[in-house]
Amino acid sequence: MSDPHNTTTTADDPHGVRKDLDGTGLLLVVFVAVLGLALANVGISMKMGPTKYTLVVQMAIATVQAGLVSYYFMHLRHGDKVVILTALSSLFWMAILFVLFLADYLTRFWVIG
Amino acid sequence: MANAHASPVLKHHFDDLGQQHASERLGMWMFLATEILFFGGLFAAYTIYRMLYPHEFEIASSFMDRTIATVNTVFLITSSLTMTLAIRCAKLGDRAGLIRNLILTVALGTAFMVMKGFEYAHEFHENLAPGKLFRAEYEKASKSVAKLTPAEAEAHFKADAASAHPAHAHWAAELALKNKAGADEVVDSGKVQLFLCFYFVMTGIHGIHIIVGLGCILWLVYEAATGGIPPENYSTVEVVSLYWHLVDAIWLFLMPLLYLAGAGMHH
Repeated sequence: MSDPHNTTTTADDPHGVRKDLDGTGLLLVVFVAVLGLALANVGISMKMGPTKYTLVVQMAIATVQAGLVSYYFMHLRHGDKVVILTALSSLFWMAILFVLFLADYLTRFWVIG
Repeated sequence: MANAHASPVLKHHFDDLGQQHASERLGMWMFLATEILFFGGLFAAYTIYRMLYPHEFEIASSFMDRTIATVNTVFLITSSLTMTLAIRCAKLGDRAGLIRNLILTVALGTAFMVMKGFEYAHEFHENLAPGKLFRAEYEKASKSVAKLTPAEAEAHFKADAASAHPAHAHWAAELALKNKAGADEVVDSGKVQLFLCFYFVMTGIHGIHIIVGLGCILWLVYEAATGGIPPENYSTVEVVSLYWHLVDAIWLFLMPLLYLAGAGMHH
């Protein structure tokens, strides 16, 4: 969690922009992980075929990938509180969208009584 | 507050660069939140229709080209890496590295769009597009399949399933064969077309986002080349990268929903 007003400056970094510099090694590890998961998703889907669990597995893998991308590549790990709040708010609104839609469609064919 | 390290990059309404960078990031994240909701509407609609017509969606998805989609996924994930490396170079004042990584990102994004173009062209060539093209192709296939005896139809069906490239086994013949047995359609061709509508709209809007991103990155290349991105202005690269990563992350969901729903299907 970084404080935007508190930057550490040095002689060769007069504006303190090298704080939170990404290590090349870490970026490569994240890249390989996201790529590996993408290929795993294709492989697993081909192997499983369409079962009722396939979509769950596929979405779980994609969610982990999106998490890695946002945490490392999109720098949420260095994010200010307000940036994290904004990112989470988008998920919250998405949840409302899905919950209200599904509350309707999943219950349409219920037979009451 | 007088800034000891005042920079020409610092805009007058900010106290210091730290505050300016934080504001730029926040602004981009707020925009991304609206983008997530924009795509969220499409994902929600897809979810409802997939839930209502799972069989048709799986069959339609099995006609999609998984090879191109997989190669494109590799392109996009790699472009996310080069984009993040560009921020690192910007922070370190490595202008050559910055420009190199940005150009690599543009090249990978362009490769994605070129592949997508070939894919669309192939689909239109095969008449695998909702509406008139689809109906004409399907009716033609239904007529020729109707002439086959059940044994011949079965043999055709097996040959199709065994073909080396099932995605390209002719979709219309496959649908017609599936529907030959009964008087009613087993697979509703209208709902197959509904999947195709989702496919074209979702990948089309995603593609437009890629093109916009490419434009922004080319602008960064120009800025970097003309000295407009000193280390303290790295956040210009960062905000564009946030957008680019989001477009990448959305693809990571589109890929399984559109291309892998019918993967490994035994036709």
